[in-house]
Amino acid sequence: MRNVRTSILHAVLSGAFILAGTAATAQCRAFAKNKCVPELAPYKFNESFNAAQLAPGEEAEVNLTFYSGQEYRVMVCSHPILGEVNWKLVDANNKVIFESLADEPKHHFDLKAASTTQMRVVVWVPTKGKSDMVHVGCVAILVGFKD
Amino acid sequence: MIAMQANKWPVLLALVALFSACGGEQPQQDQLQVDNGQDSALVADRMKKTKNIFYNIPSPMETASLLKKAGADYNGKILNDVKNVDKYTAASKQALNLGIYGADLSYASVFNHTQESMFYTSCSKKLADRLGVSTAFNDSTLEAMERSQNDRDALLDIISETYWNVDGYLKENGRDNISALMIAGGWVEGLYIATQVAKTNDSPELRQRIAEQKYSLTDLIGLIASYEVDEPALNGVKADLEALSALYADVATATGGESTVTQEGGVTVVGGPAGAATLTDTQLSAIRDKAAAIRNTYIN
Repeated sequence: MRNVRTSILHAVLSGAFILAGTAATAQCRAFAKNKCVPELAPYKFNESFNAAQLAPGEEAEVNLTFYSGQEYRVMVCSHPILGEVNWKLVDANNKVIFESLADEPKHHFDLKAASTTQMRVVVWVPTKGKSDMVHVGCVAILVGFKD
Repeated sequence: MIAMQANKWPVLLALVALFSACGGEQPQQDQLQVDNGQDSALVADRMKKTKNIFYNIPSPMETASLLKKAGADYNGKILNDVKNVDKYTAASKQALNLGIYGADLSYASVFNHTQESMFYTSCSKKLADRLGVSTAFNDSTLEAMERSQNDRDALLDIISETYWNVDGYLKENGRDNISALMIAGGWVEGLYIATQVAKTNDSPELRQRIAEQKYSLTDLIGLIASYEVDEPALNGVKADLEALSALYADVATATGGESTVTQEGGVTVVGGPAGAATLTDTQLSAIRDKAAAIRNTYIN
């Protein structure tokens, strides 16, 4: 009987876990769509949705290919509950091409690629002193290109 | 109100005609694995492992735009026949061909071939319906596209948003594997189109863009490999991509040297490693043949 109860509890918790994850992803996408994508204009969104729920101390990164002669806008957008985040664009040799820190944030970086190159966007959420409350919020890394 | 309803008739008739162009409904005969909570440990593990690492694969629209800028021509004859849509009864084929028709749609739209765009939209909609993604791609999307037929920018925006909605809907509903197949199908079709166009419209710029797909191929393989499920469709696509990757192994891409950052007329210009990616005749021919062979197994 106890095993049955445990199994039911596990099933309920598993379901709750999946539902919570799905709801969080949906909210994150809605946030990115409504708040972030419009700020890519006049660049055209490249339709690649790179977003996650992050907590202070967590990181996210994405590899990007920039094609020669093309103009791009790289944008990092974070939910207000999380506050500003740190992010940087680094090349294959880890040279920092652009950096935005939370205390002096820049939400996007526009560039023209002189030659085709791969770079990496790294986002990390700063920790804010001692607090019992851990805020988790959506962070989206978006790219726009000029048609 | 009556006037509004009357004005909808031409749109509805056009939609009926579009659906007729793509054949009738077919039952779905197999299902891909869907994460619906049966194996939460697997889901949690995958989320933990891939949560913060993203794979940015160029969208069909971005690829079509690059092709156009590289001087490529439009050739509608090489695209997937709209009549094929009813052949796709397996969910994996539906997902791959949703990506393929999506790429054909982007190619036709970027090159301003509106009529073909509408046919490929119709095929994509049918496959989206069969995959249960009609929430993200509904009749109002078709109506909006009909209304924007003569406004290329508006049409491209609707196509982009629809692609994003479908991809997002699949991911939100634990069907990332179908999303990955759709992305892979679209990428393979983009490479197929580029290599076929290069037969008659060869140029150093086009060869460079084909060579540079080496980068996105690596990311695409990374994306597919992030699904640690033993699923024949995903395993098959991964093997196909790895076969292509082997052909790309010797393709020269720019390497070495530090990036430079300069300002030119108020624009930040980032220079990467010196030199451009190049492709020999033999390499182009091998990649073209392989892309065509893979694509033919997907569309047939």
